[in-house]
Amino acid sequence: MIAVLGLVVGVVAGLLVRPEVPAVVEPYLPIAVVAALDAVFGGLRAMLDGIFDDKVFVVSFLSNVVVAALIVFLGDKLGVGAQLSTGVVVVLGIRIFSNAAAIRRHVFRA
Amino acid sequence: MSGQEETPGNRLRKELPEELPATPAEETETTEATEESGAPAAEPGLTGRQRLVQGLWPPRVTRAQLIVAVLLFGLGFGLAVQVASNSDSDSALRGARQEDLVRILDELDDRTQRLEDEKQGLEKQRDELENSSDQAEEARKQTVEKERQLGILAGTVAAQGPGITMTIEDNKGTVEADMLLDAIQELRAAGAEAIQVNGVRVVAGTYLSDSGKSVSVDGNKITAPFRFKVIGNPQDLEPALNIPGGVVQTLEKEQATITVERSDKIVVDALRAAKRPDYARSSSQ
Repeated sequence: MIAVLGLVVGVVAGLLVRPEVPAVVEPYLPIAVVAALDAVFGGLRAMLDGIFDDKVFVVSFLSNVVVAALIVFLGDKLGVGAQLSTGVVVVLGIRIFSNAAAIRRHVFRA
Repeated sequence: MSGQEETPGNRLRKELPEELPATPAEETETTEATEESGAPAAEPGLTGRQRLVQGLWPPRVTRAQLIVAVLLFGLGFGLAVQVASNSDSDSALRGARQEDLVRILDELDDRTQRLEDEKQGLEKQRDELENSSDQAEEARKQTVEKERQLGILAGTVAAQGPGITMTIEDNKGTVEADMLLDAIQELRAAGAEAIQVNGVRVVAGTYLSDSGKSVSVDGNKITAPFRFKVIGNPQDLEPALNIPGGVVQTLEKEQATITVERSDKIVVDALRAAKRPDYARSSSQ
C-alpha cells in the first residue's frame, strides 16, 4: 500500500514540479523508465508468486535502470543509438508482457 | 508494488540463503520471475490474489514497503517528467538524438526549398497576372479615349472648345444648299473639328439638299438664319472664311448677311446616333 502511495506521489510530484531534465540525462530517461517498469512488473509477479524479496527488487530495479542507460549510452557512442534503444525497448516490452501474463493468471485465474 | 507482508520483520531475508526452489505445484507454468531469484513462498497455501489483497490492505510500514515506495516514487517521478517533457510541443525535439535532429533538419531544409520554389512560381504568376491586368486596363483606357475622339468625329458625343460662330442671315431666300456645303468644306479645309448647323451635327456622311425655300441637312429642314457652330482654331477658321472670293464674299454677293464671331468656348452638343454600316466592315479584324 505504501509502495502504491509512493508511485502516486511520484507521478503527482513529477507533474507538479515539472523539473527541467538535464541535457545529459535526457536520452536515457525514457529507456530508464521502461526498464524500471519492467522491474516493477517483475516484482509484482514475484509478490504474487510469493517469492518477493525487497533486496532482490532493489538490486534488479537499479541494475535494470543502469544497464538500460548504459546500453543506450554505448549505442550513442557507437552510432547505433536509435536502433539499440529500439532493441532495448522491444526486449523490455516482451518481458513486461510475459510478466503481465503471469500476473493476469494470478489475479484473474485466466 | 508491495512488500512481503506474510513475512513479518526480516524473516524472509534470513531465509534467503537457503535457496529453495520457488515453484509451488500449481504455478509450474510460470517461468521464473525475471528479477527475483528464487526465494521460497513464505506461505504456499495462499493464492496470488490473496497475497495481493494482503499486500494492499491493511497498509503496513515495513522496511521493504518503504524501500519499494522510494523506488516507485522515483519511477513515477521519472515517468511524469518524461511524459510532461514529451507532451510539451515546443520541446518535442529536446529528447531527440543527434542523427534524428540532422534528419529532421534536412527534411525541413528540403521542405523550405520546395515551398520557396512554389512561392517563386506563384509570385511570378501573380506578376504576370498583374501585368496583364495592367495592360488590359491600359488598353481599356486607350479604347475609351479613342472612342471619345472618334465619337467627336462621328457626332455621337458632345464637344466643346475654342472656335467660331458664323451666322448667315438670308432675308431674300437666295442661299442654297451648295453655298452652305461650300462653307462647310471651307471650314473643314481650315481644320474644323466639330460643326453643327442649327442643331444638326455635321459629320462625314452629312448631305445637304435644297428643299423648297429651305435647306435640308441629313433630312432635317433648316431655315435661315443659318447658325454654324464650329470648333477649331479660330485664327485659321476666320481667315479661311474671309479670303477674297471665299465663302463670305460669295454669300454677300447673294445679298446674305454674314457675321463671324470668335469664341474661346463653343459647345457643339447636337448628337447623331451611331449607325452601324451595312456593308463596310473593318478590315483589321
